[in-house]
Amino acid sequence: MNRAGGLRIGGDNYKVEFVSYDNEYLPDKALQGMKKLVGEHDVKFVMMLGGDTWPAVQPFATRRKLLTSTLLPSDLSPDAPYHIAPCEVHPIYNVTGVEWMAQNFPELKRAAICAQNDSLGLPSVATYLAAFEAAGIDVVDQNIFDPSTTDFAPVVTSMLASGPDIVCLDTCYADYVNLITEQLFHQGFKGKIISCTFDNYQDVIEKTSKEFVEGFIFQFPDFDDPALRQDFINFKRPKDFYEKFVERHPGQWSAVAWEYASIMDLWKAAAEQAASVEPLAVLEAMKQGGRAPHAFGDASWWGEELWGIDNALVGNWPVVTVRDGRARIEEFRSIPEWWSCYKDLLVKHMEAMGLMHYQQG
Amino acid sequence: MELVLQSIANALVQSGFFSLWAVGLVLIFGVMGIINFAHGEMVMVGAYTVWLLYAGQGLPFPLALLAAALIVCLLGLCMERFLFQPFRENPLGGLINSIGLLFILQVLAVQIGGLGLMKHVPPAFPGTLELPFEVRIPVQRAVALVVSLGLLAAVGWLLTWTRLGWALRAVSMDREAAALQGISVRRIGMFAMGLGAALAGTAGALMAPLVRVEPYMGHAVIITAFIVAIVGGIGSIRGAVLAAVLYAFFHTFVTTYYSGTLATMLGLFIMLLVLVIKPTGLMGSRLRE
Repeated sequence: MNRAGGLRIGGDNYKVEFVSYDNEYLPDKALQGMKKLVGEHDVKFVMMLGGDTWPAVQPFATRRKLLTSTLLPSDLSPDAPYHIAPCEVHPIYNVTGVEWMAQNFPELKRAAICAQNDSLGLPSVATYLAAFEAAGIDVVDQNIFDPSTTDFAPVVTSMLASGPDIVCLDTCYADYVNLITEQLFHQGFKGKIISCTFDNYQDVIEKTSKEFVEGFIFQFPDFDDPALRQDFINFKRPKDFYEKFVERHPGQWSAVAWEYASIMDLWKAAAEQAASVEPLAVLEAMKQGGRAPHAFGDASWWGEELWGIDNALVGNWPVVTVRDGRARIEEFRSIPEWWSCYKDLLVKHMEAMGLMHYQQG
Repeated sequence: MELVLQSIANALVQSGFFSLWAVGLVLIFGVMGIINFAHGEMVMVGAYTVWLLYAGQGLPFPLALLAAALIVCLLGLCMERFLFQPFRENPLGGLINSIGLLFILQVLAVQIGGLGLMKHVPPAFPGTLELPFEVRIPVQRAVALVVSLGLLAAVGWLLTWTRLGWALRAVSMDREAAALQGISVRRIGMFAMGLGAALAGTAGALMAPLVRVEPYMGHAVIITAFIVAIVGGIGSIRGAVLAAVLYAFFHTFVTTYYSGTLATMLGLFIMLLVLVIKPTGLMGSRLRE
């Protein structure tokens, strides 16, 4: 961004200064970091991972009317009007993978699902349950395991005992996805695997086989994917970004590697439109007309029915499969279209697991 | 039938790991009276050694395994000399030192390999053993089980049939009485620490291609090792092995037939139950003061 001239406001160019703070995913440190960033560095926008650290930060950030972003929309609430999820609408986009699979492999009708028992795994389970129900696929086994699990052989044995032709790895942590996939290979699974992420899939190919991993469905592309060169993609020079990232951080490309860059693109566009970096002006520019340029195409501000506030940017999301040993986008699918048809199912499953915003203590 | 047999196969592999984790911990506690909280990190150091030497430098897996055992053994000896021995009269001192070391080892692992995705350790023995009744075991796991059993048998032989083993057991039973018989309690302590550490390092090395190798992998290890050691009877090696097998079967079957979360919860509940009903554990005969 800065190499390209930085922010252009009122005819002048400004460099953007990035200040980082490692909160170690500890709530206390997150609050301390937020106070330091605001008090000592006068930051105008804070990008966070979100999750367990957000509740500690929320009262301070809201009181200061600070613009903050999260990668986990479950952090959104009407109490935090300046907190946005402008990139990832986890776990709702997972419905696109199931929908694509159901259309392309209609013979697959029995799914087993596993996830770690935490705030990342459970909302995703509810989403996959809704997506499977919408697609007419029976869920024959649900295995919710302890996040400290080290050996996944019993989890996989349990799932395979129900005779699934789909194994859904939900939003298991990237390392778990790899270890479970390895176990599925060793225990002779022959069906289709679907997952939210599939980081470091090359390592899994090395541990299993190219043939076994072929057709694995997930939701996060490598950014050198030719499909990201299409006109409607708002992420600038994705291939260059990917290659530079991989060169600087070998083996570290992950599902979320591109997300902060994407959020910065959105912030820059809004700041230039508002001719200001002040949080409220930028937020107003971002949300003008209810639409904004998301990395995967123009999208709408949405979320009222799930999180009580329209602060999540939602539009199309890619369905990715492993093809000939590489992650390749099969298709972009619309999350809002799925939602308009099946929102009752998602709300039903979210409610059953006590995950709706009005059920939260 | 296939499900039961596959679960037995899974449980047997887990038994091997749990036993190695717990026997090392029990050995150190039994002889030295110190609860080594850094035991899980010793397992982690073993795994990191294999990652660095086998996956990173291309050293043959058996050599990397041996190196892991030796490096962690050396680490254990250093711990005994510099962290535990100066605090021999104060068991709390040793315990606190081991907690400090735990954090130091974690930070070192972060410095060496960073955080993020797990370290990639390809299997040294690829492929799957296909047994009757559709039971399938990855060859790497089968090798890990065989090596674990071999090591446990060797420890059993050492303790039962050698003078060193008798001395070790004598110190474990009564330090003063052992010293009166001319046994060097200090040397036996060093030996126990080195052996316990080597077992932990070997366990980590064997596990490296099978599990998540990362700086905090020791957490799960120490929790399981404590459950097994307490249920088996603190200080009892036979008890630790028996409890490891029982716990591995229990955990595997509950995970397979019900859920992994329930398995972990019930495991901790059983540990608490044993502490209340039979504090000496399955095979422990006395409580250490």
